[in-house]
Amino acid sequence: MEPELATPFRERAEHALGDRFLQEALTIATTKFITLRREAFAELPEGEALRDQARAIKEATLQRLDHWLERLVENVEGRGGRVHYATSADEARAIVLDIARRTGARLAVKSKSMATEEIHLNEALEAAGVTPVETDLGEYIIQLAHERPSHIIAPAIHKTKGQVAELFARELKRETVPDPEVLTRIARGELREKFLQADLGISGANFAVAETGTVVLVTNEGNGRMVTSLPRVHVAVMGVEKVIPSMTDLAVFLAILAKSATGQKLSVYTSLVNGPRRGGELEGPEEFHLVLLDNGRVRQIAGPLRESLNCLRCGACLNVCPVYRQIGGHAYGYTYPGPIGILLTAMLNGSESVKDLAHASSLCGACVDACPVRIDIPRMLIELRKDVSEGGIAPWSERLVFRAFAWLLRRPALYRLGARLGRLAQAPLARGGRIRRVPLFFGEWTRTRDLPAIAPRTFQERWAELEREARR
Amino acid sequence: MTGKAEFFERIRAEVVRGRGAALGTTALRPGKARERLDVLRRELSERWRENLDRFGREFERVAGVLHRVGAADEVPGVVARIAAERGMRKVVAWPAATLGLDVVAPLAAQGLEAAAMPGADVDGRERERLRAVAAAADLGVTAADVAIAETGTLVLVSGAGRPRSTSLLPSCHVAVFDRDTLVESLLQMGLVLEAWHEGAEPSWRGAAINFITGPSRTADIELTLTRGVHGPKEVHAVFVEQGIRAHRA
Repeated sequence: MEPELATPFRERAEHALGDRFLQEALTIATTKFITLRREAFAELPEGEALRDQARAIKEATLQRLDHWLERLVENVEGRGGRVHYATSADEARAIVLDIARRTGARLAVKSKSMATEEIHLNEALEAAGVTPVETDLGEYIIQLAHERPSHIIAPAIHKTKGQVAELFARELKRETVPDPEVLTRIARGELREKFLQADLGISGANFAVAETGTVVLVTNEGNGRMVTSLPRVHVAVMGVEKVIPSMTDLAVFLAILAKSATGQKLSVYTSLVNGPRRGGELEGPEEFHLVLLDNGRVRQIAGPLRESLNCLRCGACLNVCPVYRQIGGHAYGYTYPGPIGILLTAMLNGSESVKDLAHASSLCGACVDACPVRIDIPRMLIELRKDVSEGGIAPWSERLVFRAFAWLLRRPALYRLGARLGRLAQAPLARGGRIRRVPLFFGEWTRTRDLPAIAPRTFQERWAELEREARR
Repeated sequence: MTGKAEFFERIRAEVVRGRGAALGTTALRPGKARERLDVLRRELSERWRENLDRFGREFERVAGVLHRVGAADEVPGVVARIAAERGMRKVVAWPAATLGLDVVAPLAAQGLEAAAMPGADVDGRERERLRAVAAAADLGVTAADVAIAETGTLVLVSGAGRPRSTSLLPSCHVAVFDRDTLVESLLQMGLVLEAWHEGAEPSWRGAAINFITGPSRTADIELTLTRGVHGPKEVHAVFVEQGIRAHRA
């Protein structure tokens, strides 16, 4: 269970809305990401066609996922790597722990990976006596602060440089100043030691190329290269949906991934790793392990959330989401925030887990436009809402009101009468065409939104009037 | 623990159940990738000037520094100047066979502490020692197998005489390249990757291919762009007009 879930979503969201620094940081960051993304695609006339092609590749791969995964396994093993199969998060953790134990690892360096966040690997490693060190600067900061990432690609977006300086002073016993340049230099020194000492390197995978058995990692800092080259054992944990058929496909994805994420044409480092160190090489692990992770993904191949298996984890939908932009990542309460995060949470933990989150969206569709592979997130959110309501997860008062409303809608005479009565009843509540508070238990619905007041003349009344005029 | 057979059985069942949910096509893979790449390279050789200009523009946009020299024997001078300007003393370099020239002797003659990495397999203890040498170096000199104009990217294939650490551990990386390495786009790079993986792999080939697009960077603290967080703080590319004779991927 995630630590943030001790309080209900509404309270988490209200807390975030009251945090003035967070509000400012979110506006600055998301606005900047949106601008950079737009500029990057403006420079690429074939961008739209590439997005369509990327989408088609993902769909085609899902159609034969078993085949491509088998090719991947064959080619990884053919190059001296070992493949492991994890149906659940528990199993994935057990596999990594077993590798750590067998190889006598004490210190693990990690390259930023949402898959290992998802399975809560760090806690398990610590409990087993292996020290995990996050090496992406943002992840390192939040690990020192014992927090969780608040954005898929900018995990420490919610921290000020002053807070980071205090954190370094407290945790690293290093006196410093709140200057990103100086703070980054300190982190470089601290982490360089760890890279050179670590026995185990743990990474995720942005892609895995089936035809060659290659795991592809994209980073800006270079920690991905360190983690896959310096420790004597490398373990990559990847969701099964990350497989793509060929290097030709990879080129298509690389052409749109960084542009969608940070607006860069390409991230600084794209590392293609193909098994353990080969003869003649100075660096590279003696052992290479690939953990294929299901954890709720496989049942969606034919499930209602199938389309979200196409996600590249670029974070573009977070930046444009009016809800994410207000509440940030932590308020969502799970590993994956934002619009796609709601779907991924439902995929990993079941619809029950998103009974509140399914409504944390205005369904405006900005996410579909921003998504490099055009995942129709609102469509699936609506289905989730249906699921949530049919499963009796919504509060009984809300279900009662909507059922009564549906009953009324089917009876025009009663509906007209209801509208007239409602107009009288709302008089003490309506101000400027809105109702801000409804009494009793119905008040829950208007806590965070206004209800439009019933108009002085309803549409039906005006329509009837127009018809009378036309006949005259 | 889930076994392979059980794992795949579930996936296969779901794939069958989900069949027809949506259609798609994978990218059309070029057959005979090597032959096609040869054709492409001949075409590109006629446009190398434009492609070099474009590479230079994009490389500078990502904070790379481009140098141009006429002949390979001018490269050590460029490296020495970069080192002198920054007060750097320790240099590691790929060996002459993969770099295309010997930089160690001329740099040593200028008073720098220069070491060439080995061209063939060495034992574990020697690997440890060499890693420490690379980690202590200020400047690393490598070749590049491909330079992508569209993105200002250098592509380095690891292997014998091509250590990964030379371009990673020192705070300054200098890569040497020539017109034959230039391609125009990421999609052309896709063809190069297909060609590299066609047929049996050569015995010198290592397990990593790295795309390097400028110096290491982060914006994780208040979105302030900072360079050199883990990898090099500076990346220089030296273009050799007359070409270099080196082993290339």
